[in-house]
Amino acid sequence: MILHVNPSSGLPLYLQIEAQVKQAVAAAALKADDALPSVRKLAADLRINPNTVARAYQNLERDGVIRTVPGGGCYVADGMPGLLKTEKVRRLRPHAQQIAVEGMQLRLTPEEILKLVQEELQKLGGKT
Amino acid sequence: MSDLAISTQGLVKVYSKVKAVDGLNLSVPRGAVYGFLGRNGAGKTTTLKMLLGLARPTAGSARVLGCDIVRQRAEILCRTAFVGENKALYDQLTPAEMVRFTRSFYPGWSDAAAEKCARQLEIPMQQKFAKLSKGNRAKVWLLLALGQAAELLLLDEPTAGLDPFMNDALLKLLAEDTAFEGRTVFFSSHHLAEVEQICDWVGIIDEGRMLLEARLDEIREHYRLVIAAGRDLPVGKTAPVVAAARNGQFSRYLVARDAEAFAAQLKSQGAAVTDVTPLSLREVFLELVRKEEPCTSGNAGVTHAVASLPF
Repeated sequence: MILHVNPSSGLPLYLQIEAQVKQAVAAAALKADDALPSVRKLAADLRINPNTVARAYQNLERDGVIRTVPGGGCYVADGMPGLLKTEKVRRLRPHAQQIAVEGMQLRLTPEEILKLVQEELQKLGGKT
Repeated sequence: MSDLAISTQGLVKVYSKVKAVDGLNLSVPRGAVYGFLGRNGAGKTTTLKMLLGLARPTAGSARVLGCDIVRQRAEILCRTAFVGENKALYDQLTPAEMVRFTRSFYPGWSDAAAEKCARQLEIPMQQKFAKLSKGNRAKVWLLLALGQAAELLLLDEPTAGLDPFMNDALLKLLAEDTAFEGRTVFFSSHHLAEVEQICDWVGIIDEGRMLLEARLDEIREHYRLVIAAGRDLPVGKTAPVVAAARNGQFSRYLVARDAEAFAAQLKSQGAAVTDVTPLSLREVFLELVRKEEPCTSGNAGVTHAVASLPF
């Protein structure tokens, strides 16, 4: 798996890593039981602080995306665990909100905004 | 045991009437990679010297690894590795000989760390120091510091003189070993890109005073630049505003948190908010150290092309 971060983007690095891992899992580029690089290796590869990588991995584990085996590395978890639908919606809502606000500020029509989201879903192979 | 590797309270250093450091408060958590940023002459090197007991503070106090910088100098020097800006060493010795000489002073010396550093930074170990380039001399200093496997690494402009490739190799070494093993790295720099990459904490100083000390992810997450147009907008620095400037009818604010709420407040005062945007570390730095232009509502709009120089 190839991760990259942009330190100047204004988005916290741990969030950039989280988003990329989640995206890779959603797009099936990463499958259940695939190994992730160790904290030390990923920090060295990206030339970033190991604390940052550890934080991203902790959050991914909390979200059920990966699991860590003590002393044995990190692996992609078996499918998203049984999160309640309401919980899934709660997690996604802030992102939806951001898209809506940004879209309105840029004076895009609701149709144009929805079309963009649909296009992104199609790229991941989702049905719309 | 304190969870701070370095803490200073009101540290002052006066050199014949010049205040190099002026009431500096610094808190470096253990295990952090801390970027200590400031313009030339902001007081970075003087601060580092005081932390190591190489300069005596005029006022204030500081602790390094829990030790008082005035009374426990020897202990601090034992547990801390330092690379200063002066890269002179023994001209007639080779790096290999210097390693043999240096290792005997440090009980915790790590041959493995030193060898890895020599290999990754491609240091010519058998060449006399006098014949080494500026960049290679800097690398020898880094080698001698990393070999100590010290709890705290103090680096003054460590990447000055290194080419981009070697700069990258050094960042890799720091990320992979030093930081991974929970050691604290405190380094001064004005290369903001590398700081942005490897550090998890930054402190920005100017004229000997701390302007901003924060977790870098906190800055990325919450700090925003708000640009607004309108007449007579306030340019005071009350929370959450950490820097404000006016140029013509536009005012710019560096806001530490709740930027959207701040923008809404400006709008309610009749301003048109043109932008709320995240900033790179470089932009935060420039907003903070930019000299405020004397602006009253009378001369708002006049841009002062020449700032008054302090000498």
